[in-house]
Amino acid sequence: MLWSLEYLFEAPSMADPNLAYLSFLLLVPLSILFFLYLIVRPRPVRIPIKNRHVFITGGSSGIGLALAHQAASEGARVSILARSLDKLEDAKQAIRLATGIDVAVFAADVRDYDAVTKAVEEAGPIDVLIVNQGVFVPQELERQGLDEVKFMVDVNLIGAFNMIKAALPAMKLNRSVRGPASIALMSSQAGQVGIYGYTAYSASKFGLRGLAEALQQEVIADDIHVSLIFPPDTDTPGLVEENKRRPQLTAIIAASSGAMKADEVAMKALSGIKSGSFIVPCNFDGLLLSIATAGLSPQRSFLMAFVEVVAIGIIRFVALCYQWNWYRSIEKWTRKNSRISN
Amino acid sequence: MIFPQGEHERQQQIKFEAKHIASVSLDYFFEAPSMADSNLAYLSFLLLLLLPLSLFLFLYLILRPRPVRIPIKNRHVFITGGSSGIGLALAHQVASEGARVSILARSLDKLEEAKQAIQLATGIEAAVFAADVRDYDAISRAVEKAGPIDVLIVNQGVFVPQELERQELDEVRFMLDVNLMGTFNMIKAALPAMKLHRRDRGPASIALMSSQAGQVGIYGYTAYSASKFGLRGLAEALQQEVIADDIHVSLIFPPDTDTPGLVEENKRRPQLTSIIAASSGVMKADEVAKRALSGIKSGRFIIPCNFEGLLLSIATAGFSPQRSFLMAFVEVVAAGIIRFVTLCFQWNWYGSIEKWHAQIKRT
Repeated sequence: MLWSLEYLFEAPSMADPNLAYLSFLLLVPLSILFFLYLIVRPRPVRIPIKNRHVFITGGSSGIGLALAHQAASEGARVSILARSLDKLEDAKQAIRLATGIDVAVFAADVRDYDAVTKAVEEAGPIDVLIVNQGVFVPQELERQGLDEVKFMVDVNLIGAFNMIKAALPAMKLNRSVRGPASIALMSSQAGQVGIYGYTAYSASKFGLRGLAEALQQEVIADDIHVSLIFPPDTDTPGLVEENKRRPQLTAIIAASSGAMKADEVAMKALSGIKSGSFIVPCNFDGLLLSIATAGLSPQRSFLMAFVEVVAIGIIRFVALCYQWNWYRSIEKWTRKNSRISN
Repeated sequence: MIFPQGEHERQQQIKFEAKHIASVSLDYFFEAPSMADSNLAYLSFLLLLLLPLSLFLFLYLILRPRPVRIPIKNRHVFITGGSSGIGLALAHQVASEGARVSILARSLDKLEEAKQAIQLATGIEAAVFAADVRDYDAISRAVEKAGPIDVLIVNQGVFVPQELERQELDEVRFMLDVNLMGTFNMIKAALPAMKLHRRDRGPASIALMSSQAGQVGIYGYTAYSASKFGLRGLAEALQQEVIADDIHVSLIFPPDTDTPGLVEENKRRPQLTSIIAASSGVMKADEVAKRALSGIKSGRFIIPCNFEGLLLSIATAGFSPQRSFLMAFVEVVAAGIIRFVTLCFQWNWYGSIEKWHAQIKRT
């Protein structure tokens, strides 16, 4: 009987297996976290802005201008490149008024490699190159002129190649003295998912990602770090122009993600560039998009890597729901419009 | 309380009561967990079975665009870059399946050879058109002569691997022009006629030949990957634009394929590119063509060609449409693990890059 009593007192310790089970459950994510901490490549990096040379293309308006303002107010030496000298001078004045800093201006078309090379030479060795120029004319491929398609691919994609090729030699020099450098490419959420009306624009922006993934492997040994920034629709003169041409269905589908102000985008962009993140989203929808499209991109943050591994399945599920929504919208709109035309 | 018995009997009584309480409690203690356990086990079993089943059902209901069958037999298949490599293999297989085949390429000589080869192998006569995909007018003429197309396979591609720092910009432009702009030209030329009479002619397909380099950019492939990634942006948007016309877009992602093109490429390949690209195997053009056609016929948006390609496709599923609810289920379940695997690949690749550079510095 005494034995039974003793057993009665020992029995509660049988609940311990549940406790053991629980601690095992915690151990799994913790070990994944630790493992990721060890293996994420390239390693995290800090890229300062202050007292360094930041070169921004498409810097006379929109997101580029906002970036120039913010980089200047953080104490960087800023150069901006764009096509129109007038707009550049306006931008220069605006920045001087707002920050007291004088930015260097260079008028050149990114499609003209020689002009870009001259500008880069005059500007001097670059620490942070922000390839931000972009044009966008949404339209169904069936209706769009091929010259417009060529325009977008030339400016957005080939222009980026020209810019990087021109700046790279000087960027590679003296990096051990000058510290880590950055090549940041302004993409778009249309560079993460292609939607109705954006065949050419999405093609050019998706192309930037292929370029960036390969480029990072080529320049990592030179302490140069590549970033891709993915803003949603942003309140800029460019968007005003785009909206005049936007097909109705594009507007319906693009409404899934909100619009942002150029300043907010610039802030997120700079923050991402400074931490050397390869993929820089700008809002919450962008974060979901970035996790969904993480693909084979490098990830420097082990926390973000953990989130990706855990959430990407659920987000793929969400993405499939979005497809259901979008294709239904297309179906509905098509039916409505064929009825009207009939 | 006055016990009738003595002290000893009293203690016996207490012990008896305690024992009774103990044994009852013990019984309860042993039963209670097993009752809770069995409930728990039953519940978790139900959950384990119901959760994936409901996911299956949900995916089956919501997947868009819906699955489609695109026949090849007795239909017009138009293949660019069809005089050699994967294009030629596609032409062979399509002809032997009873399709009317047209092939387009730059060199009339190579086209004639291809035509002969196909005739010898299958008895079918393919129509040949000599044009450069960069020349929109020439393509328009070819497409007009060929007649309305049911399955357009945009397969032309050039690839010159090299570090961007070393590569000439005209080579970069060459790849972008042929692989990307050439595709735009081709689609724009073929689309009007493709849209006509689809209800009589059945579902159509526009298939774009991409590459695993269009799913991941690696050392030496800045321009090539840019052009192939671009095809994906084009395809995702295009599918939304042409779905209402019963036209279905496919992207094919072969690995290194044993073709004359690869022989040329290997002459120029940087060493690091070979080291990193070795992660995925090489395939024969016939195998690639077989996988490609199978995917085109089921209207798959993303068509991998081997096992590594399948992993790559799940990893890069992103916001691509998925017609197969089975595949969608696999994507949702496996994407996380595969992302973990790709992070390990990055560790491997960047490690190789580091080692290679350290080695170069030493010599």
